[in-house]
Amino acid sequence: MTRPRVLAAMSGGVDSSVAAAVLVERGFDVIGVTMKLFCHGDDVPDRPCCSLESINDARRVCEQLGIPHYVLNMERTFGRDVVDDFVAEYARGRTPIPCVRCNTFTKFRDLVAKADALDAPWIATGHYARAEAGVMRRGRDSHKDQSYFLWGIDRAVVARLLLPVGDLTKAETRARARALGLDVVADKIESQDICFVPDGDHAAVVSRRLGAGAPALAPGPFVTTGGDVVGEHGGFVRYTVGQRRGLPGGSSRPLYVLAIRPDDRAVVIGPREALFGRSVVAREVNWLARVPPRAGSPVEVQVRHRAPAVPATIARLEMTGEANGGRGGEIELALDTPVAAIAPGQSVVFYTRDEVLGGGVIERQ
Amino acid sequence: MPPAVYLDHAATTPVRAEVVAAMTPFFGPRFGNPSSLHRWGREARASLDEARERVAACLGARTDEICFTSCGTEGDNFAILGAWRTARQHGRRAVVTSGIEHKAILGAVHQAAAEGAEERWLAVDASGTVEPASFRDLVRDDVAVCSVMWVNNEIGTVQDIPVLADEAHGQGVTFHTDAVQAFGKIAIDASRQPFDLLTVSGHKIGAPKGIGALYIRRGTPLEPLLHGGSQDAGRRPGTENVAFVVGFACAAEMAVAERDAESARLRRLRDALEAALVARIPDVVVHGRRGQRAPHILNVSVPGTDSESMLMALDLAGVAASSGSACQSGSVSPSHVLAAIGVSPDVASAAVRMSLGVLTTDEHVGRVAELFPALAEKARRLTGSRA
Repeated sequence: MTRPRVLAAMSGGVDSSVAAAVLVERGFDVIGVTMKLFCHGDDVPDRPCCSLESINDARRVCEQLGIPHYVLNMERTFGRDVVDDFVAEYARGRTPIPCVRCNTFTKFRDLVAKADALDAPWIATGHYARAEAGVMRRGRDSHKDQSYFLWGIDRAVVARLLLPVGDLTKAETRARARALGLDVVADKIESQDICFVPDGDHAAVVSRRLGAGAPALAPGPFVTTGGDVVGEHGGFVRYTVGQRRGLPGGSSRPLYVLAIRPDDRAVVIGPREALFGRSVVAREVNWLARVPPRAGSPVEVQVRHRAPAVPATIARLEMTGEANGGRGGEIELALDTPVAAIAPGQSVVFYTRDEVLGGGVIERQ
Repeated sequence: MPPAVYLDHAATTPVRAEVVAAMTPFFGPRFGNPSSLHRWGREARASLDEARERVAACLGARTDEICFTSCGTEGDNFAILGAWRTARQHGRRAVVTSGIEHKAILGAVHQAAAEGAEERWLAVDASGTVEPASFRDLVRDDVAVCSVMWVNNEIGTVQDIPVLADEAHGQGVTFHTDAVQAFGKIAIDASRQPFDLLTVSGHKIGAPKGIGALYIRRGTPLEPLLHGGSQDAGRRPGTENVAFVVGFACAAEMAVAERDAESARLRRLRDALEAALVARIPDVVVHGRRGQRAPHILNVSVPGTDSESMLMALDLAGVAASSGSACQSGSVSPSHVLAAIGVSPDVASAAVRMSLGVLTTDEHVGRVAELFPALAEKARRLTGSRA
């Protein structure tokens, strides 16, 4: 009668379906929920409104598992906390990661509030990461590890997380789904897109919000580090630091985007060696470690999803949010070896081996 | 776990045992097509005709005034679009309705607008009652069809349909009412009440989903939605669903026979539930409270809570309620009805509709009267701690 209750966020994909199924097997009182985060409505023809298909898949899995399923309308807060920021960041010439903000605010704050309302002490998702005794760790499958996206969540929430597929490889997850008879999702193709960006066209989202005449979408110059104008681009929103595609040709060496200057709409380009940086300044710092490191401490840092973590030292640390559970403030890291393509707006995540210590949003090199 | 409590009769009702029994032969030996000339066909035809007479009697109608449909939505669409498409040929270019109508009406009116109609929106007051001055102002001799629902499905407000229909007639305007929630709760009598078109639905009164009827007063011109065979004199071609028509007739007769007693019973239970909630949650908002209300609907908002969390918590405790409106995905969406009667978005987003019916007992009401305030109190505490 007193089975522990868990609110399982279910996207309709294989990972979260298996996560819920594993918890049912372990004897939890599982409540499946699918968050409805956006509604394209009539904007995007031929596409079912608000990923209706995924919601229906999640519903079918829950039906099969014999657990309740609810659709939570979180459009308003997701729009405010994630989509608005996504658009504002691109307008500032930065490269945001909406998944980080979704985890920080939508999944592991607003959804946790729903769990509280339903007396569910536990929250489950299909992330490839591990939460053990209040410590967040990388997922067992290094190819799938998603801990990079989870640094922003509230430290207190980590102790309430159940991430059953964090102990599995993707192949094991699929095998598990087939063994459980979850045919609806077992062989589903993984989505690489940002959920609210149809066809990966983020410029279209920015355009819809800000209007086609917004500066981020207006033509501007390609300039070299020396200040020479070497071409024109169709809007800096389409560029990100480290990008090679869509740059002017004619150079003997491959060129990369080094920086974006929204003030004069310039995309600064140069050779690969100019991409490397030895320092990272980040803001909105959040600590998951029970005892956050201090200035002068060594940490490993990862500046992009799928990039290797590299050794660094905390050169400067200004925490402003001690009272707020360790959130806020600015950090500067000195990297032991130079790292390519440190992009403002992306996350820098701090690790000790596989433990996630915390992270922040990259402000500059 | 205490027994489950179903408080969503406005969404749908269980099929009554008598209805199942009445339909059963038609899933067996009496499978004929009423249009066939042989014995099987004649039997089916006889059952169909008899059912039509029985439904007509329930509505005070003549037999040929009953057109069976597949659902309330079809009836509403047939009424609005059929009347509009006929009347526009005579220069009547406007369609009048209110903002608290069912989506079936709103959708049909929007379709008429897409075909060139002018939409006119009746003003409704805070109780959800159509303002008479607005009605007189908008329902003029250029109107093709006017539709006002008899009982609102979200808040239960009852409109004075005979008076509105009479006024519409003064302007030569075809008058329709969606009586899906009114049927079995309000006395409907086409021989005394001057509406031209009236929609009813089976599954709200103990018949299965997939059957309904549109009352079409003799002489009301209505362009069909469907084209094809000659069933129902070409008004509604398609092989008749004899089993469900018979089930509908059975349910309709019971609903009418039990109407006074059942309405009184439901009103007593609803009022008791309402009184308990008001006593235990002093700032609870009872929507439509100041209007005339049907006996089976109670729609309340507890400020500081949200519908979604309340409905989930109720469901997990075994109580089925509704927010009155849901989107295609099944998620709770803001109520257009509450917005139309001027309820603030914050309060509207907390709305919970409880609709009583055949399954509702004193014990159920007592249980919800205890449970609901406790859940609301908890939801409020959580909201407060985050604010």
